[in-house]
Amino acid sequence: MIEFINVNKTYPNGVTALKDINLKIEQGEFVAIIGLSGAGKSTLIRCINRMHDINEGTLNVNGVDVSNLRGKQIRKFRRKIGMIFQSFNLVTRTSVINNVLVSSVPELPSWRKTLGLFPKDKKIAALEALDKVGILDKAYNRVDQLSGGQQQRVALARTLAQNPSIILADEPVASLDPVTAKVVMDDFKRINQEMEMSILINIHHVELALEYADRVIGIRKGEIVYDGKSEEVTQEVLDNIYGSVTEIPHMNNPEEANV
Amino acid sequence: MKETVYDRIFKPRSYTLENGKTVKQRASRTPLILVMVFLAIYASFQATGVDLSLILTRGNEFFVIIWSMFPPDFEFLPNIWKPLFDTIQMSFLGSLIGALLAVPLALLSSSNVIKNRFLNGFFKLFLSILRTLPTLVLALIFTFLFGLGTMAGTLAILIFSASYVGKLMYEHIENVDMGAFEAQESMGLSKIQAFRYAIVPEVLPTYLSVSLYAFEGNVRYAAILGYVGAGGIGLVLNERLGWRDYPSVGMVLLVLMVVVFIIERVSEYFRRKLS
Amino acid sequence: MNEAIRAQMGKAPNRKLYFTTIIIIVLALLIWSTLGVDITGLDKKGTELAVNIVKGIVAPDLEFLFDFSTQGVAYLLYQTIAIAFLGTIFGSILAIPISFLMAPTVVSAPVAYITRLFVIFIRTIPSLVYGIMFIRVTGPGAYAGVLTMSITSIGMISRLYVDVIENLDRGVLEAMTSMGCTTYEKIRYGILPQLFSSFLSTTIYRFDMNLRDATILGLVGAGGIGAPLIFAMRSYRWNQVGAILIGLVLLILLVEVISNKLRSRLVSGTN
Repeated sequence: MIEFINVNKTYPNGVTALKDINLKIEQGEFVAIIGLSGAGKSTLIRCINRMHDINEGTLNVNGVDVSNLRGKQIRKFRRKIGMIFQSFNLVTRTSVINNVLVSSVPELPSWRKTLGLFPKDKKIAALEALDKVGILDKAYNRVDQLSGGQQQRVALARTLAQNPSIILADEPVASLDPVTAKVVMDDFKRINQEMEMSILINIHHVELALEYADRVIGIRKGEIVYDGKSEEVTQEVLDNIYGSVTEIPHMNNPEEANV
Repeated sequence: MKETVYDRIFKPRSYTLENGKTVKQRASRTPLILVMVFLAIYASFQATGVDLSLILTRGNEFFVIIWSMFPPDFEFLPNIWKPLFDTIQMSFLGSLIGALLAVPLALLSSSNVIKNRFLNGFFKLFLSILRTLPTLVLALIFTFLFGLGTMAGTLAILIFSASYVGKLMYEHIENVDMGAFEAQESMGLSKIQAFRYAIVPEVLPTYLSVSLYAFEGNVRYAAILGYVGAGGIGLVLNERLGWRDYPSVGMVLLVLMVVVFIIERVSEYFRRKLS
Repeated sequence: MNEAIRAQMGKAPNRKLYFTTIIIIVLALLIWSTLGVDITGLDKKGTELAVNIVKGIVAPDLEFLFDFSTQGVAYLLYQTIAIAFLGTIFGSILAIPISFLMAPTVVSAPVAYITRLFVIFIRTIPSLVYGIMFIRVTGPGAYAGVLTMSITSIGMISRLYVDVIENLDRGVLEAMTSMGCTTYEKIRYGILPQLFSSFLSTTIYRFDMNLRDATILGLVGAGGIGAPLIFAMRSYRWNQVGAILIGLVLLILLVEVISNKLRSRLVSGTN
């Protein structure tokens, strides 16, 4: 369970990223977070695994007060949370399986770590993770030979091999074409249902968010302006999240369009 | 997975997943490559007689010459200007004419400009062979043909520039997106006009940049051409080293460093602008 | 023409002056250079020599070409490869620490700047001067050539290494942070795999160049094929010159083809 209690976050340059966030996400939920770029979606997600620190309030993840963690505890805590990125963040010049195996590195004795020798059970775990996302046959290919969608599934396998209870995904389909985006979203949905992992996804495709997620959270200027079932999202709700049409910069005013 | 000869000698490993699927992993080639590299290193040590302990015992000898170059002999400076200018002139003239010659050579080598496989192959091979000949060897041959002096050096630099710029240019021209060319032909431009307005703007910055880069390298390289009598500052360098007049050598190197530094900066400035 | 179009026309950059200046400078340099270089034609002796050289290349001394004794072309080419190979290996090892010291993303700006100056310093000294200095250490022979190659390759290798270091993909490190990896683990599994193939590809490229450069070391007595080449020329044995040149060209072409294959395999990863 993830619980935000009166959480505030201000960046060192004075920009307020999160304003008084109160949120409760149960284990096994599929949540989509939507909003304009810069609204604080990414910050919200990154506070959960302490990639960002919060300034005020309490953030509990699976009963752990995240702000109190230090050094080694943070690293141990992060092992239980998977993260997926827009740009996949893989080592492209090495094989698919080596990328997936990285997730088991922190658990290895240091001599194995240094020499890069992985025990058989880790290799099998990695292959099984690849099988779950349907790219087992690519295991020994180099990542740069794969398509974008396949690369994102490698990243997903890497996260699965970590066996997390929560997966955070920061714009996972933003650099994919519409068809592959759906394939990757299907993977998320399946993982969510079959393994009961909580999935929090930042996404700017409203249709995809409504189609796949059970719950939608709308953020505007660091505040939660909508939190509810995805079926209940109406045009009004969207207008409120994204600002009404007149507030969107448009072409008649070149000054604004350049922003 | 296709079985290769390698797989037959070094058996792939296979892993069985819980759901019964099996995956084969090819045996890693790293150990074999490592063994080959080590053998090559061993053979090279044998062929060259490299003895690392000698560096520890006699390594200081290297610095003896370096230290005796300090302080450089500033009185020697007036003797440097003339050969220095010779070097710059040789490099400039050689690079410029070489770069100009590279244009027809590159066009003839590019399969998307001249659609004649035989011609393309011939000129590509020609450029490659020119490039393999070390400039100093060319300079040496030219001193036999044209006598000692800057002419030999200029020609050697010219040939190197033509082959270097030519090769990089045809590689670039062949990789140019032909879409714009097609579009302009469809608008009714002739092939030559389309080449002028579609291909030239794409390649021109690279051409200038590569030519400048070649010039930069040539100045540095021209400094040693004097060794074989092909003119320039190398003559002085060789002579002073022969006389063990190290402070003068130091002066020559200092001047060379300053000149190369300036030319590199200027050339880098323009190359940045071009990219 | 409406106002906006006219205004936009006025904004078209006027760079005539800029280009004219550059063209004038280039022309001036050209005239100056042409005056400086004493252009000589082929005299009768030169023409005769040219004919002889061509004859030598067409009818090379094949026995000399395939002579595997320590004085023969085959052996000396082999020695030249060995010089270039070891020189490249030593040079690339030395370039690793230097390139990290040159990268402003790794060290502070002044340190990076000083290292860069130092590299310019070692790069400007011509290879033959190094050759002479190393002969003092090792005596004449291939060993001096190896040391010369090592030091002359540092400049270019470290410059290319720096580019790789500065263009490292940091996304992988971010992902590893999110997985709870330590700094050591991030270097070992996030940075090294990225550096390895690029560094290797640079090194192979430099080997290609070093092989070309190693052919001239013989000029100062630092081993390899250069010495017999000059010796043959000075004594007008053109069929021997032809044999050496043919061996050299074939060897360098062969190495270039292999090195290109290896590098494209490293970069694109196709097996």
